[in-house]
Amino acid sequence: MAEFRFLGYLAEIYGKKRVKIPLETQKKLRDVLEVEFPEDRSIVLINQRIGNFDSLIRDGDKVVIMPMISGGQLMLAKDPLIRIE
Amino acid sequence: MEGNVGKILRVNLSDGRISKEGISEEMRKKLLGGRGFATKILWDEVSGVDPLSEGNKVVFSTGPLTGLPLPSSGKMVIASKSPLTGGYGDGNIGSMAAVHLRRAGYDVLIVEGRSEAPCYIAIHDEKVEILAARDIWGKMTFESQDDLEAKHGRNVGILVIGPAGENMVRFATVMSQRGRAGGRPGMGAVMGSKNLKAVVIKGTGKIPAFDEKRVQEMGKEGYGEIKGKENYDFWIRQGTMQVFEWCNENSCLPTYNFREGAFRFSKRLDGYALEKLKVDRKGCPLCNMQCGMVIKDADKGNAELDYENVGMLGPNIAMDDLSKVGVLNRMADAYGLDTISLGSCLGFLMEASERELLDVRIEWGDLNACKKVIDDTVKKRGLGEIIFEGVRKASERVGGDSRDWAMHVKGLEISAYDCHACPGMALSYGTSPIGAHHKDAWVISWEISTDRFSYSKEKVEKVIELQRLRGGLFESMTTCRLPWIEVNFGLHWYPKYLEAARGEGITQEEISALGDRIYSLIRSFWIRENGSWSREMDYPPSRWFEEPLPRGDLKGYKLDRARYGEMLSQYYEIRGWDENGIPEKHTLEGLGLGDIATVLGKNG
Repeated sequence: MAEFRFLGYLAEIYGKKRVKIPLETQKKLRDVLEVEFPEDRSIVLINQRIGNFDSLIRDGDKVVIMPMISGGQLMLAKDPLIRIE
Repeated sequence: MEGNVGKILRVNLSDGRISKEGISEEMRKKLLGGRGFATKILWDEVSGVDPLSEGNKVVFSTGPLTGLPLPSSGKMVIASKSPLTGGYGDGNIGSMAAVHLRRAGYDVLIVEGRSEAPCYIAIHDEKVEILAARDIWGKMTFESQDDLEAKHGRNVGILVIGPAGENMVRFATVMSQRGRAGGRPGMGAVMGSKNLKAVVIKGTGKIPAFDEKRVQEMGKEGYGEIKGKENYDFWIRQGTMQVFEWCNENSCLPTYNFREGAFRFSKRLDGYALEKLKVDRKGCPLCNMQCGMVIKDADKGNAELDYENVGMLGPNIAMDDLSKVGVLNRMADAYGLDTISLGSCLGFLMEASERELLDVRIEWGDLNACKKVIDDTVKKRGLGEIIFEGVRKASERVGGDSRDWAMHVKGLEISAYDCHACPGMALSYGTSPIGAHHKDAWVISWEISTDRFSYSKEKVEKVIELQRLRGGLFESMTTCRLPWIEVNFGLHWYPKYLEAARGEGITQEEISALGDRIYSLIRSFWIRENGSWSREMDYPPSRWFEEPLPRGDLKGYKLDRARYGEMLSQYYEIRGWDENGIPEKHTLEGLGLGDIATVLGKNG
């Protein structure tokens, strides 16, 4: 079983706060969950290490998906923060 | 800039003189408003004085967006030389007072001198009076607000202090609207030292805007965009309390006086626990994403909670029941005490008691003991006498090794994020311009999403980037940053808002220069008032370097002092400050602050 937990409003998107899913083979996180998340505004931790929705999940992994909150999300962009039209 | 024409109103409580002054075009251009104005006024007018003396001043400062029909614009900055830290202190507050001040035709109110008897200032457009406050002196903030509304009507803006401010408890805040608080480095105590109980403002004019129609249209569009955000509904349910679960998960929840990063009873305190107890929501003017979550507390009162006060009055003192946290929070609001500093002071006392450094016992999570300490803090007696000047002074009184776990930077208690395993957030606290507070650079979310444990230059750059936006732009416009940071409201709106409001937008370069100018000005104020400076002033407490997390997912993690020092050096270098954190002459000159270099002895 791989264990998945969802924090904040991402639990609303998934419909549950936690779920356990058996995995016979490793799969991309995106393919395991089959739900569309705001990927650029989410943080994925796999066994306490940073991951992403392309990371491969194996049986036994503990995955936490949490929102990027409080002034971080735009900082990920390499583009200028503000575009003056 | 024809849409940005308010005056400075100056009230001298010593001689009763009231004057009005224009604000120069150069000052608006270089410093925008809000915090920008406040830093310049304090630099020019408050030098070498005791913060609780007649010579200190309180600056209430708005910005060019304040009070306009734009998202979360009902904000002002309250600034002073801090009696808690001895350096620059400020805080922003959401209040109808901000809106009314601008409607009355003023961008800034400066209060100076000291009244012989308790008084309050009543502003009604052009008419400004200093009135006797003997009837409300000694009353709690809620009651004082009621009395002032009974006298002046409900359609006014009120800023008021409680008994904590009157008695000059060093972390006394200014309160408004029965739950809004601002000025945690003791701005309430400065008002108290002046015998100033309140400021009541009624403005009946129109806040000028360069292009009023465009302000209206873009404001409406902005409010709509906020309501349509994917996490808006969840935000309305939990507000900042959604961060509680997030922090516990990431081992950065302040627990047992910042000894630990996760709390075993967190589910009794988190956003879901809040939802079960919630009876109402409250917020600031002109905001459509109110963050004040009101619960019925254990003593049947209404307590307005958010993450910071629950973090500090909950796990940090091992209080494992949200309705009990509510009691402490309501008491703090009623007395006009800062909840963050209070939570830190209580945690400090509990740890000192556990280590047998006190004559009396105070156990972790003991509600009744906490209630007594709060009463005693305001009256400066018993255990309150130890903590009424904050944890830095408390550690001097308690002695032993308590300096190592008195959780502050520059004398201001650390807000609710444990940094054993967050070097970037530790740097944010270390370099925050008022002492350890999160408002200028909440880098922790970005940090956890990248390489959390690294001490990289990229992290230093992010801290500065956030300080420019949050500590510079938002504090000076002056609007709340939460639409941007909490529901991802587009940052690109703000230059447009500024353009419509004052006839001139702002570029990326100008935003950076504004933030850098304010930061170097505030740093210069600290250095001048402190008389000297050293790198140690920009370090978080020893606990995070010396004592690893004792349990949890990140057991064993702690900060590395040498690598933190490397990040700090990089920070100074990017800021154009020397190895001791003092702004270089060329930096000040480049920011249009050349006159300051001489004062700092930076002549070469």
